[in-house]
Amino acid sequence: MSKPLIKLENVSMVFEIHTMFGEKKKIKAVEDVSLEIKENDILALVGESGCGKSTLGRIMLGLLKPTSGKVLYYINGKYRDIWSLSKKEYKIFRRHAQLIPQNPYTTINPMRSVISALIPPFLHYKIARNKEEARKMVAEHLKMVGLVPPEDFFNRYSCRLSGGQLQRIAIARAISVKPKFIVADEAVSMLDASLRIEILDLLLRIREEYGLAVLFITHDLAIARYFARKNKIAIMYLGNIVEIGNTEDIIKNPLHPYTKALIMSVPIPDPDIARKRELPKLRSLEVPSLMNPPSGCKFHTRCSLATEICEKQAPILRNINGRLVACHKIGD
Amino acid sequence: MVDRLRTLEKILSEHIYIPLKILAKDKRALFGLFMLIAYILISLIGPMIIPLDLTPNLEEKYLPPSWKHPLGTDFAGRDILAQLVHGGRDVLTAAFAAGIVTVGIGTVVGIIAGYMGGKIDTIITAVIDIFLTIPGFPLLIVIAAWLLQSGIPITILTIAFVLSITSWAGLARAVRAQTLSIKNEEFIEVDKCLGLSKLYIIFYEILPNLMPYIAMNFMLSSVSAIYSYTGLMALGLIPLTPGNWGAMINMAQAYVGTITGAGATYILAPSFAIILLQISLVFLANGIDKIFNPRLREW
Amino acid sequence: MRWIIKRLIIAIFTIYIVITITFFLIRLMPGNFIDMMVYYYMTTYGMSEIEARNTVYALYNVVPNEPIFLQYIKYLFGLINGNWGKSYISNKSVLEILLYGLPWTAFLLSVSLTISFAIGILLGIFMAYRRGTFLDSLLSTLSSISRATPNFILGLLLLYFLAIYYPIFPARDSYDITIEPGLSIQFISSVLYHSFLPMLAYILTSFGGWALAMRSSAIRVLGEDYVMAAEARGLKPGRIARTYVGRNAVLPLFTSFAISLGYMFGGSVFIETYFAYQGIGQIIGLAMSWRDYPLIQGGFLLITITVVLSNLLADMLYGLLDPRIKRGGTYGG
Repeated sequence: MSKPLIKLENVSMVFEIHTMFGEKKKIKAVEDVSLEIKENDILALVGESGCGKSTLGRIMLGLLKPTSGKVLYYINGKYRDIWSLSKKEYKIFRRHAQLIPQNPYTTINPMRSVISALIPPFLHYKIARNKEEARKMVAEHLKMVGLVPPEDFFNRYSCRLSGGQLQRIAIARAISVKPKFIVADEAVSMLDASLRIEILDLLLRIREEYGLAVLFITHDLAIARYFARKNKIAIMYLGNIVEIGNTEDIIKNPLHPYTKALIMSVPIPDPDIARKRELPKLRSLEVPSLMNPPSGCKFHTRCSLATEICEKQAPILRNINGRLVACHKIGD
Repeated sequence: MVDRLRTLEKILSEHIYIPLKILAKDKRALFGLFMLIAYILISLIGPMIIPLDLTPNLEEKYLPPSWKHPLGTDFAGRDILAQLVHGGRDVLTAAFAAGIVTVGIGTVVGIIAGYMGGKIDTIITAVIDIFLTIPGFPLLIVIAAWLLQSGIPITILTIAFVLSITSWAGLARAVRAQTLSIKNEEFIEVDKCLGLSKLYIIFYEILPNLMPYIAMNFMLSSVSAIYSYTGLMALGLIPLTPGNWGAMINMAQAYVGTITGAGATYILAPSFAIILLQISLVFLANGIDKIFNPRLREW
Repeated sequence: MRWIIKRLIIAIFTIYIVITITFFLIRLMPGNFIDMMVYYYMTTYGMSEIEARNTVYALYNVVPNEPIFLQYIKYLFGLINGNWGKSYISNKSVLEILLYGLPWTAFLLSVSLTISFAIGILLGIFMAYRRGTFLDSLLSTLSSISRATPNFILGLLLLYFLAIYYPIFPARDSYDITIEPGLSIQFISSVLYHSFLPMLAYILTSFGGWALAMRSSAIRVLGEDYVMAAEARGLKPGRIARTYVGRNAVLPLFTSFAISLGYMFGGSVFIETYFAYQGIGQIIGLAMSWRDYPLIQGGFLLITITVVLSNLLADMLYGLLDPRIKRGGTYGG
């Protein structure tokens, strides 16, 4: 088994915002999260919007500095905190960790042509010696993501491209510097359903070719299941990871009550089966605000199993049947 | 060599041909562009063809337009057309110099505020707000009066600099807002991940998005510079230069009660020279928005 | 609330900055302003140097060899107490002279601003609804011409053609001086008659800016989902234009209020001079030609205060009309 490439140790992220009355409020977007992604592996991070999963992705990329905890990255045979790297090491990390963002229409500057947005990374890392060579590399990369003939796309602006084409360009741009780790933040959620599988397959193929570790962030369990079918899923709820495990195990036998609810909520196309299935037992459908999170286990306000201990004490991740679950009521 | 030619061809088509094509569809902007070129050419070449003779000739005062004096003569019998042609150079120089200084200050300040954020932004925003509220032209009058007294030589460049003091804030505000909105775009996050530098992000990602504002504001601050420059001269607040349109208006205003019908060109000529230049610049400013904004293009 | 307090602080600070600028401009003037004044009193009133010096010190609250910081503090308190210095042409208090002119200018500018704003937003919303048509392009062209024309040039042309060459309107004064000022119909109609051309100069040169701003603002609003939703609900087009498009499109225009008013105040120096209209603009124009610095500085200060306060009023109105502002979303955060 390969070694972890990137590790989070007790990472928390607190944002301060100003409310209308001029008070400062603290939002715990990510709270005490520890996880790791192995080389050439996929972790799908699933959660409702606003649960802190995008923040977590940006922390792993070094775009946001966590308020506490460490982000460790494997460089030159050691795990190093990415916020105390030497200049040289930081440059390596910067080249290794890339982002494929959510909105295809803003992944390249609307004022700039495709070619002018794709050339600079090649020159910055001296992958290409000159512009001419960089152009050739851009053409290769565009071909690799299925944009042929590549020359047709050179001088186009984002307003003349479709969402699918733009997402392919975003992928090309991310892999142009030969990274080792990619965060795909809701990479297909803004695309037409018919295009999603195509882009997911492209991403999987490229991942295979480059041997990339991927953090695949999505709110859609079905897509996570498709993308990480041989790998792992982590379920996030209001800043906490509540369950991590092998994808098929979790889908077939969810342990945490929140995971169960998520899986139940995936629509089933066959009405006969759909009618027969057990509906999720939730006490409330309302997601609590991150500004006033519930005490103890944050899910207790909605959980049908909740008892007194859940209100008082936050559960920690425990190993249950080869996976990690944060719930007082499971496995006792 | 062939490669170079091709690059040149590409640059020409991207920066000259395509913008012109867009302009060609916007009749008003096209009019503005041609008028502006005409003004520049007349100011450059005109003085060489038409000499300026300011010797008073009282027998020929307030003559109606004729072949000898296409725009008639002024209160001292001097040719109005010659004065008009010679006056353009100063006005255009002051306008463009003020435009450049204004755009320079406004863009730099706006980008710093928007990109840096935090305390620097709070302070700069407050300064911008203050400068936006201080009435520009009255401030100019005070500064001009001070300059006059202080003995600092009032050249076109001093004037351009003083004019920009009162007009950079509007652009700075627009640039700041635009920078703020671009700075959090996903393509900037991707750039950061790719390790591209801050300077790259500012010059290649943020500046292109600001180009419409910068180009438009260049034109519009030229418009307000022309207003202020000719205005200050019309009031006699800065030393009159011969033939300057503002100086002509200053004189015309002093003699306005005595001008008879035939002498109306003395008021009309400099007035329309200024108004037409202002209109051309405003039309061009509106047209420029379309050139730099691919989303507004129609193909 | 926080937002209004913030605006208030900025308003006060703006006035403070302007006061400071005027203070130091006078003090930093080469050739020493006080010496200049002493020389002026010596030559004009035939005083001895000591006599003149004492007069000037008394007039401008100057204690010789006083540290500049103390002078500055004194100057600030003097301003607050209404001691804005004395005009050295008429020897009257600067504040007194200016306050005499202020109502006339305020009348001229407030009426012109209101009318041009009203014309501007009506034209703007009309153009937005008819965008792309010939009428739109014609009105846009007209608006651009209005925006581009300097108000002092139009003022001069109106004066020459409609008051002097064809004497339809009076060429000078703010009312017929043979009429006793008062609340008589005669007086009021005389005031309106005399203010017609100056107002026309302001209105014709400023409605275009409002119209163009309103047009693009209204076009943006017309593309919003809530307008489409209102249309889908079958609301009457007139009501949509007024309450949905009009209201939302007008709000952003309030931010250019200060700039517009400042521009008009600048124009008043010309227009009131040309039409011999006894407002602040004419006073400053005269002060300029006599190099009466205390009066120039005082005029600038009074204009700034007026613009800042009007702007504060516009801001508050904006805050009341736009609930988003109350959340403090546009500033800081």
